[in-house]
Amino acid sequence: MRHLTRALIRRGLLGAAAAVLFLVAAAPAFALTNPDVTINQQVGGESTRFTFTATTDKDAPVSALTLRFPEGFDIRKAYANVVTLQGLKRTTVKASTSVRGQDFQLAFDPAIGPGSELRVMVYSVMTPNVGGTYALGVKYESGGQQRSAEGADLTFSYVTASRSVKLSRYVDQQPWVAKWNSVTALNLFLKPQLIVTSAPLMFTGWLMSLALVGVGFPLAIIGGLMLAFMKMSKIPPLRWIAAAYVNVIRGTPLFLQIFVAFIGLPIAGVHAPWFVTGFVVLALNSSAYLAEIFRAGIQSIHKGQLEAALSLGMTYPQAMQHVIVPQTVKRVLPTMTSEFILLFKDTALLSAVGVFELMMYGSNIVARSGNLTPFVVAAVYYLLVTTPLINWVGKLEARLALAEHGQGAPEPKRRSLWDLLATRRALTRPAIEAEE
Amino acid sequence: MGKPVVRIRDLRKSFGTLEVLKGVDMDVQKGEVVVILGPSGSGKSTMLRCVNRLEEPTSGEIWFEDTLVNDAKTNINQVREHVGMVFQSFNLFPHLTAKGNVMLAQRKVLHRSRTEAERVAEEQLRKVGLGDRMDYFPAQLSGGQQQRVAIARALAMDPHVMLFDEVTSALDPELVRGVLDVMKDLARGGMTMLVVTHEMGFARDVATRAVFMDGGVIVEQGAPADVFDKPQNERTQDFLGHIR
Ligand SMILES: Nc1ncnc2c1ncn2[C@@H]1O[C@H](COP(=O)(O)OP(=O)(O)OP(=O)(O)O)[C@@H](O)[C@H]1O
Ligand SMILES: [Mg+2]
Repeated sequence: MRHLTRALIRRGLLGAAAAVLFLVAAAPAFALTNPDVTINQQVGGESTRFTFTATTDKDAPVSALTLRFPEGFDIRKAYANVVTLQGLKRTTVKASTSVRGQDFQLAFDPAIGPGSELRVMVYSVMTPNVGGTYALGVKYESGGQQRSAEGADLTFSYVTASRSVKLSRYVDQQPWVAKWNSVTALNLFLKPQLIVTSAPLMFTGWLMSLALVGVGFPLAIIGGLMLAFMKMSKIPPLRWIAAAYVNVIRGTPLFLQIFVAFIGLPIAGVHAPWFVTGFVVLALNSSAYLAEIFRAGIQSIHKGQLEAALSLGMTYPQAMQHVIVPQTVKRVLPTMTSEFILLFKDTALLSAVGVFELMMYGSNIVARSGNLTPFVVAAVYYLLVTTPLINWVGKLEARLALAEHGQGAPEPKRRSLWDLLATRRALTRPAIEAEE
Repeated sequence: MGKPVVRIRDLRKSFGTLEVLKGVDMDVQKGEVVVILGPSGSGKSTMLRCVNRLEEPTSGEIWFEDTLVNDAKTNINQVREHVGMVFQSFNLFPHLTAKGNVMLAQRKVLHRSRTEAERVAEEQLRKVGLGDRMDYFPAQLSGGQQQRVAIARALAMDPHVMLFDEVTSALDPELVRGVLDVMKDLARGGMTMLVVTHEMGFARDVATRAVFMDGGVIVEQGAPADVFDKPQNERTQDFLGHIR
């Protein structure tokens, strides 16, 4: 709202100023018509090329032109190139230039005759950082008379440079960066300027990937638990349905499932926001894997645990809730975490159907810049999540192995070498019992 | 004689085509300590597990007080509340402390308050000699200590009868006595008990009756001294000969 008001005020002021100029000059002639200015940069604080075009009228030749840049524009290093076009004929015009304050003055020798397309390119104008809409003042001399050109097309605008652009400029100026980039591999994969510009952009994609898996995975846990209990159910149809689902999902590529969801569903008339389709397809996929993890986890709990709970009068659901599932959680946590890591990495597949997640941002910037640095940035973003989790899984597994080994009763019949060793240990530690 | 606590009539149990129990009859009176002996595979565990329906009997009747245990209409959880069981492999809940193990079913099944459950748990654990191990996890306890926690866990439910299935068989020899002592105290306190065991000393000292099973039937039973010293049946003689 504030911006809008300010823009309106500025435009009003400009209009008033133009009107005043018009009155002062009181020029009747149309020696320069259709004046227009364009710039080649969209952000401030850049060395910018200004292109001024106009048509010289039939009245009189134009002998001099003054372009007045707004305050804050640095034109001390500016230079110009002037051409005229008559039909397809392109003529370079000899022009002597000088800079006086904010005025960039050109004198044409010979004067530019009537009926030409005049094109003045002013290079190396340093624009101020702050973006906005500015107007170029244009005066010219024709037939010994000072005149000024008017028109809304003499305004131009650009935006304030973002922090990352400023950072990139700063990086650009560092002496080591040039040296660094002279090594092809470093330049191709680790270009500092691209790192600083792509990392903030790709942060958004990273958040999107996290959001997709952050919503999808909890859903997958719920679905996985349901499927696991269905697979262990006493009711055959429930078992069949769960088994068929798990087999189909695990037996086909996630890539295919994504295409079915994103291309098939709209054709079938189901339209959902892509974010929803995204986390749903991830959840549907992962629930099949989690179902197997949970089922194996629950069945790995010694059946004596259930019997002990039941023998105390607990119901089956109570035994599940208070005895079996708590032990299962501890046991499946490592595999579950691995499944989370897999799913998080698999969000990258969604880029194939245009979901703006991390990989999509990365490949877009790669396509635009022709440089592979954004892929490295993407890799770092993925690793930021996966590395701590992988470490954690390792620790969990180690702790679990220790706990399982130390705990519970020695089973009447031991089979593995591991168990055998455990028995020997138990037999050789009467020290504990001696204190009794 | 009053009404038996447990009454078994023509109990049969088959696993597939294998008939494991071939018609067992038994009455257990209040305060009786019945020791069940027999060779491996004779069906001792199966019979015990039928009493609280961890195994579904194929036919016959099992009565617990006034309830027909193997009736589809019976709420089996209510029967199990009053029938304590201790297993060979302890089956303590590894994610709970000793006290937590003893408290869980009190809270969930008997709906005792936390303080009440805790009070009972501490009392029972002290009785089995684990007053100083209440907050230990099963993994931090010896086998003997674990088995005594399991006994305390069953006793906290105020059972009318206790089932013991070879509760000392998985223990290292030096740990057996501690568990047997707890069971002896329990027997002297008047608890009704069905005990499957090979501990002859315990059977002689404590049992009011010895039952010898073989091939899915009760072959011989009587006062422990009679059964052990003057076995009538050939198979009993043979078995006792091997055990001594
Ligand atoms: N769930 C089961 N499925 C199939 N067969 C079983 C099952 N449980 C027990 N059996 C069989 O039933 C028979 C009796 O088993 P049970 O465990 O009752 O014997 P036991 O007298 O307790 O022997 P042990 O002294 O070895 O414990 C055995 O042959 C055993 O293999
Ligand atoms: Mg047995």
